[in-house]
Amino acid sequence: MKDVLRAAGITKRFAGIVALDDVSLRIGEGERVGLIGPNGAGKTTLFNCLLGVLAADGGTVEVAGRDVSRLRAHRRARLGVGRTFQRIELFPETSVRDHLLIAERVRRGTGRLWKDLLGLGRPTAEETRRCDEVLELLGLVELADAPVERLSLGQGRLVEVGRALMTRPAMLLLDEPSSGLDRAETMALATTLREVQREQGFAILLVEHDVELVTSFTTRSYVLDFGRLIAEGPTGEVMASDAVRAAYLGTYAPPESATARTATTTRTATTTGTATTTGTATTTGTGTATTTEEEAR
Amino acid sequence: MATDSSSVGADFLRAVLQGAPPGAVYALVALGFVLTYQTSGVFNLAFGAQAYVSAAMYFKARLIWGWPTVWAVLLSVVVLAPLVGLTLEVLIFKHLRSASAVSKLVVAIGLAVALPNLFDIIASFKPASGVTPVGVVPGGADVFYSVFGLYRFSRNELVDMGVALVAVIGLGAVFRFSPIGLRMRAVVESARMTELNGIAASRVAAFSWALSSLFAGVAGVLIAPRFNTLGSSDFFSLMVVAIAAAAVGSLASLPLALAGGLGLGIVIAELNTFLPRWGTDSAWVRTVQDNLTPSVPFLVLFAVLALVPGIRRVQGAGDPLAGVEPPPTARAGRPDPRRALAMRLLGAVVVIGGGVVVLTRGDQLWVYQVTQAVVIAIIFLSVTVITGTGGQISLCQGAFAAIGACTVYQLAVRYDMSVLVAMLLGGLVAAAVGAILSLPVRRLGGIWTAIATLAFAYFFDAVMIKLSWVGGGAASLLRGTAVPRPTLGPWDLSHEKAFLVFAAVVLAVVAAAVVALRSGTFGRSLIALRGSEVGAQSIGISAARTRLTAFAVSAFIAGLGGGLLAISQRDVNYGANFTPFAALFWTVLVVALGSRSVPGALIAAAAFALFEPLVLDGAVVGWLTRERHPLPSLFPIDGKWLFILFGLAAIQFARHPEGLVEYGLSGRSRPARPDRPRGRRSPNTDSAAAGDAAASDQRPAMRGNRS
Ligand SMILES: Nc1ncnc2c1ncn2[C@@H]1O[C@H](COP(=O)(O)OP(=O)(O)OP(=O)(O)O)[C@@H](O)[C@H]1O
Ligand SMILES: [Mg+2]
Repeated sequence: MKDVLRAAGITKRFAGIVALDDVSLRIGEGERVGLIGPNGAGKTTLFNCLLGVLAADGGTVEVAGRDVSRLRAHRRARLGVGRTFQRIELFPETSVRDHLLIAERVRRGTGRLWKDLLGLGRPTAEETRRCDEVLELLGLVELADAPVERLSLGQGRLVEVGRALMTRPAMLLLDEPSSGLDRAETMALATTLREVQREQGFAILLVEHDVELVTSFTTRSYVLDFGRLIAEGPTGEVMASDAVRAAYLGTYAPPESATARTATTTRTATTTGTATTTGTATTTGTGTATTTEEEAR
Repeated sequence: MATDSSSVGADFLRAVLQGAPPGAVYALVALGFVLTYQTSGVFNLAFGAQAYVSAAMYFKARLIWGWPTVWAVLLSVVVLAPLVGLTLEVLIFKHLRSASAVSKLVVAIGLAVALPNLFDIIASFKPASGVTPVGVVPGGADVFYSVFGLYRFSRNELVDMGVALVAVIGLGAVFRFSPIGLRMRAVVESARMTELNGIAASRVAAFSWALSSLFAGVAGVLIAPRFNTLGSSDFFSLMVVAIAAAAVGSLASLPLALAGGLGLGIVIAELNTFLPRWGTDSAWVRTVQDNLTPSVPFLVLFAVLALVPGIRRVQGAGDPLAGVEPPPTARAGRPDPRRALAMRLLGAVVVIGGGVVVLTRGDQLWVYQVTQAVVIAIIFLSVTVITGTGGQISLCQGAFAAIGACTVYQLAVRYDMSVLVAMLLGGLVAAAVGAILSLPVRRLGGIWTAIATLAFAYFFDAVMIKLSWVGGGAASLLRGTAVPRPTLGPWDLSHEKAFLVFAAVVLAVVAAAVVALRSGTFGRSLIALRGSEVGAQSIGISAARTRLTAFAVSAFIAGLGGGLLAISQRDVNYGANFTPFAALFWTVLVVALGSRSVPGALIAAAAFALFEPLVLDGAVVGWLTRERHPLPSLFPIDGKWLFILFGLAAIQFARHPEGLVEYGLSGRSRPARPDRPRGRRSPNTDSAAAGDAAASDQRPAMRGNRS
């Protein structure tokens, strides 16, 4: 199987904290992969580094065999890596259809200033048809002309997916698509995603806290804790492993698991690190600890 | 006596000593800047105005009322300055906490214009020429103390440095030892996080406003003796220097801002010492040398932007919870279609009717006024592109317009080119300058665009316009910058009415182009980018390229309009039309009235050109009462009220970012968000989003963790 995305040795530091430490992963064509880990593990940061939104401090990223480590975010997007955001990033004052339209236009690269000036910038029949297809696929037809301010969070997430689909991605990175949705909305979103993915065959990297969703949706998973990969493998096995439980519950794992020990040492390192660094780092550290406790409850 | 070989070293040291006192004052203002920006998110361009108010109060109390120095200082610095700051915070900025940085900036600019005028009216203060502002010590400018035989400090200069030193030590002590200082430090580290920890950010903000305003007041009183007359624009330039100093610390670091201020003072002094030796034969260097104070900040700022790669990271990394800048709030509601149609019809009737009346019955003065409005409207449409569509605040539209005007002057007068061709070329030259200018800031956006364009406006004003190949240099001083009116086929545009028709046609074409651009790929990309930069990037929109284009297009329109303005007035009239301060006024006027739509720009232009003759001079009232001089005691109303109205409009902007025009159009006939249920939030999301709850209120976005 060819890889659509391959990352090696990604490292990212924020002031005092190491958000990502030597993370490597690969995703094959059409594969559905999960990326899990407790709050603050570095999942979103990893996305941003893969996509060029943040500049990694080390490591390489390849898209379809091409090294994109030095390309800016929009160039990587044009190579076929679409994404959605944990905190929705839609364009205010713009209708749902216009979201898809601009994505289609940019993908085609046919926009020119002089065409706009001559009034030729309006959507062509072909573009409208493409938009309608995706709108239908996602069940957004009724909302096509609604400004995005009027959508519910779940609908907003669908629009993000639709916008990403318009770029005809070879791979889609989804950052907690279920966050803020209720059970029914989550399930509906999962069903839609699965259908679309089957139809178009792109690969998916899914960040999710919803265990059920991850287990049912992905075949293989990576586990991130304190910026380190602590486990990878078939999703079912990974979910059951001690290392993952330890990471999520914040308890110390039995010593026979080597990966779990790594996690423990990382934790110690982080806390000592924060004690000596700036106030920012300290507060962040505390925040992470609190969330981990919350998970435990 | 120093020999020739050792004199370089001695001169260098002397310049260091000479630059330290003004540097200390810059540092004070820069510290105040960083303090307010970090604690309340306001990039307070009204700082210069606040410094002016204190300086003027001191002047009035000391020289006009004849108060003793101590009392005058107490009143103007210790009481008035913090009071002004507190008032601004409590009355205005407190309510804008969740507004975008850009709308806070606009409000601050409005205040920068309104405050000095408000003070002048309330205190019936007239910056009298002939009376030089005095310092706080007797004989401050006349008694000298020599240091190592190198440089003789005047008493005033010693006081500058002493006071600055005390202020810095005081600030340090407050930070270190007082409880509120500790909280301030926390807020500077991470405003959101502090809020989450339950520290009342508003108390901290109020305190830091008072404190930083005190700094502004001190700086104002200290720097005043360096000016011959008190004028608020000098204080604005002082502030531009201080901004550059603050930029050295990426607007975030107090120690670096301090160092930046001192450093700038010294650099200016060094250049003053050494430039004359090196640059005697280059006109360019000489012009810079004559205007060092405004040009150094520009050079420093652009050096910082170009050379400090960390500046981009500093923006977000300082505060892990900062996220992205909150997006502009959504329109107040969907305009009621019938009402919108009615307004549109009404607008068309007014425009056509007004046009017919002016063309058939208007006397020369009226035709002139309306022509001004039409031409200014073209320039204002450039703001519609860059700010309304692009969401970026550019403060150098005046410079772009001036570039257009100067190109017309150069090409038409000196090279005998057709005026109309020259006008188009003027637009192109401005577009090129705009594109180049956008290079260092196009990835930074937000506040940095405003700063960089402001610095450029001042640089253009101080240096470029004086060059012979731009504003005409010495030749223009002798012969003026007259520009001929063209003929277009059978029409002789030197007839005022013919010219008005021509200008109206140009305006219509530009307006149509702006509308077409907005609905095309470029406009859509720009709007996407304004809404969410990462979102736009994720579908392949290049932020850098789109912004560069936006700058170029906007500068082209401004340049075209500037050229036409010069043609219409038959002269470039740089000082009357295009100064940085005037251009600030433009931007804020358009933004406040409505930068999102073409009618907004048109109404702003009408207000700009016609408000004074119509309302302030009493023409309307005179016409209503059918008397020539109806209320001689009232009319003409003091022109300063215009600026105060303007300030009010700017403040309104923060509440109605869509602009007053559109706000009026929408008629508040519907609530902003009629029906949709919001996505449900888990409890911890609510607290986490508390910091920017109001900001994200208008959109379905929220930051949240599920567990
Ligand atoms: N811009 C930033 N500046 C400083 N620290 C940051 C920044 N962004 C993220 N971090 C820190 O990096 C670490 C990883 O954060 P990240 O958002 O990637 O976690 P995550 O796994 O996505 O968590 P969640 O499940 O809560 O979304 C956290 O400790 C976070 O505080
Ligand atoms: Mg995340």
